[in-house]
Amino acid sequence: MKTDERKETFADLKSGRKTRFIFTGLLILVTVFMIMDIFLGSVSIKPSEVLRAIFSDTSSDYGTIILKFRIPKAITALTVGVALSLSGLQMQTVFRNPMAGPYVLGISSGASLGVAFVILGFSSIITPDSLSGLGNWILVAASWAGAGAVMILIMIISSRVKDIMTVLILGIMLSSGISAIVTILQYFSNETLLKAYVIWTMGSLGNLTASQINVLLISVSAGVILSLFLSKMLNALLLGENYAGSIGLNVRLARTLIFICTSILAGSVTAFCGPIGFIGIAVPHIARILFKTSDHKILIPGTILAGAAVMLVSDIISQLPGSESVLPVNAVASLIGIPVVVWVIMRSRKYSGAF
Amino acid sequence: MKSIRLLVFVLLMSSGCGISENKTGATFSPQKNEISRAERFTLVRKTGWTEIKIINPWQGATAVNQQYYLVRRGDPLPFGLDSASVIFVPLKKIICMSTTYISMISALGEEKSIVGVSGTGFIYSPAVKKNVENGLISDVGYEANLNKELILKLAPDLIMIYGIGSESVGYVGKIKELGIKVIINADYLETDPLSRAEWIKLFGALYCKEKLADSIFIKEARDYAGLRSFILRSITKRPRVLLGLPFKDTWYISPGNSFISTLIRDAGGEYLWSDTKSSVSMPYGIENVYLRAIKADYWLNIGSIGSRVEISDIDQRLANLSCFKNDNLFNNNNRVTSAGGNDFWENGSLYPHLLLKDIATILHPEVFPDNELVFYKKIY
Repeated sequence: MKTDERKETFADLKSGRKTRFIFTGLLILVTVFMIMDIFLGSVSIKPSEVLRAIFSDTSSDYGTIILKFRIPKAITALTVGVALSLSGLQMQTVFRNPMAGPYVLGISSGASLGVAFVILGFSSIITPDSLSGLGNWILVAASWAGAGAVMILIMIISSRVKDIMTVLILGIMLSSGISAIVTILQYFSNETLLKAYVIWTMGSLGNLTASQINVLLISVSAGVILSLFLSKMLNALLLGENYAGSIGLNVRLARTLIFICTSILAGSVTAFCGPIGFIGIAVPHIARILFKTSDHKILIPGTILAGAAVMLVSDIISQLPGSESVLPVNAVASLIGIPVVVWVIMRSRKYSGAF
Repeated sequence: MKSIRLLVFVLLMSSGCGISENKTGATFSPQKNEISRAERFTLVRKTGWTEIKIINPWQGATAVNQQYYLVRRGDPLPFGLDSASVIFVPLKKIICMSTTYISMISALGEEKSIVGVSGTGFIYSPAVKKNVENGLISDVGYEANLNKELILKLAPDLIMIYGIGSESVGYVGKIKELGIKVIINADYLETDPLSRAEWIKLFGALYCKEKLADSIFIKEARDYAGLRSFILRSITKRPRVLLGLPFKDTWYISPGNSFISTLIRDAGGEYLWSDTKSSVSMPYGIENVYLRAIKADYWLNIGSIGSRVEISDIDQRLANLSCFKNDNLFNNNNRVTSAGGNDFWENGSLYPHLLLKDIATILHPEVFPDNELVFYKKIY
């Protein structure tokens, strides 16, 4: 390890300064977007009124809007952006595939199955009347159970097969099979329940209670801390599993740890907010392009900041400030994500070196 | 110019002659639309047939007209009519794709003609439900999941569907290919309660019970108008009304030109979004809705909610609304079956004065002190 402690050359110094500059820029962006997300919403409130609502007049109507609607939603957006982007980065590295994302292992389809069983499947057993009173936690629990079951299955597969590509293919097969079951449940359910399910698949950030936000924050923090310890393993995996194994990495252990980390991150987000796509695929690419590196010590914090910024922007846009309507945040996030991915593919010849 | 006038005159004369030769012998005003309030269909009696035109039969349809020609069974097919659009009446067997048609068919005493319903679990009418239990009515399935073989076996004279836009074209085309007649019912698009009730006249024409249908409608229109003017004379204030429930952080708001909005206005209330206009429910952000909902005095039509705790389970912030705190929650699920069938959409569609009376009793208990609610119940 001593050989690594070489003197920093002039070029390293320059790129180090540039990296610091980008980090500072992203941090400022996230702060600005966070504030904007609280100040802008479908109800137009003057900035002075917002400040008054936060600091003095908390029980006014505007105070309720800011404290009970906007601030929880902004915190959720930030957390979701961080968690999905980070798990997307990990999946892209593990599978060495630029199109991998947090849902490649079937987390979202597993969660969908759990939710579909609650919303659609029970409709024939329980009447819609009693269903509507189940509240938020039931869906969260169902989503967790579905995602967790799929992840355990994937990890069992992963510990038995050597080649990571086999895991990827089996993951995709599993997802497709689960989607087919969900389709059958949808097919037999009535319009109201179908709408409730479809709205769940669109994702939403603004429906979490304070206790749910706490659970989300704790689990995402755990995932982020775990991922910081994984950066060395991820760097080694970039070289290919065989090579990583030859330099002393326990590949299967690394894989399992990364899968656990992704399950915690993407699983909890999906449980509380529904499947929010594309952020997880697109943001790691944004981070790679910005920092021009494949070193996870830089990419992980970079992805965290970029993910938070993109999700906050998506939330601001989805609220369509000034108009009464709102757009589903999932759709807005995809519309922001797609151009990025297209751009990545168009310049992939130059870019594929990252894997 | 003169020649055109002459031509019009001759045409009017000839049609007049036609009417006098009409077999049924009834005196009809010639070539006149007999529908007074409903905006989504017209009914014109011609020589030898009745022409039904359904106007813009689904949400968002513009300049779409569906024409049907009702010809009496046994009469010769009039020359020049598109035979695919001819329906022979009176109907002996009908399949209903919506349970809302059941009350109108029952009001004409023709419930025995119903041989199939889409979603028999959603039927409220006890008499019709009994027919389901006795195997006289089959469940034909849902739109794309329609049991076409069963439909063919039932061999109905007509399938009455509701227009859900171009998506429905697929299954409608297949049914038509089987040689089964289809008519689109657009009653749910009527924004006025009496307009919706006037669709009884379509059933009157289909069962050749025009006079009965007309008398039911005339009585209903009289009941509704009388009740409305009584309410408007008696009330001193207009309580503000909130409707519906959010889906996650989106709240689909019924526009101000909707069926329920008209009912609330006629019942002496003020719907919070009475100033909006739209042909579909509008997806509003929850914070926006919340800001207006704070002002609501009453909260009606709260999804399928049966208790207060279900509302706070959906979103704790809703429990801060003053209508929630003041216990002014009423839901229209008093007459429902365990599977979700609701009489609000069956008898409520045909007899809107009953809905009006319910809502007025909720909003103005001082005006109707002894009235018991029918379709609504208080949520505790």
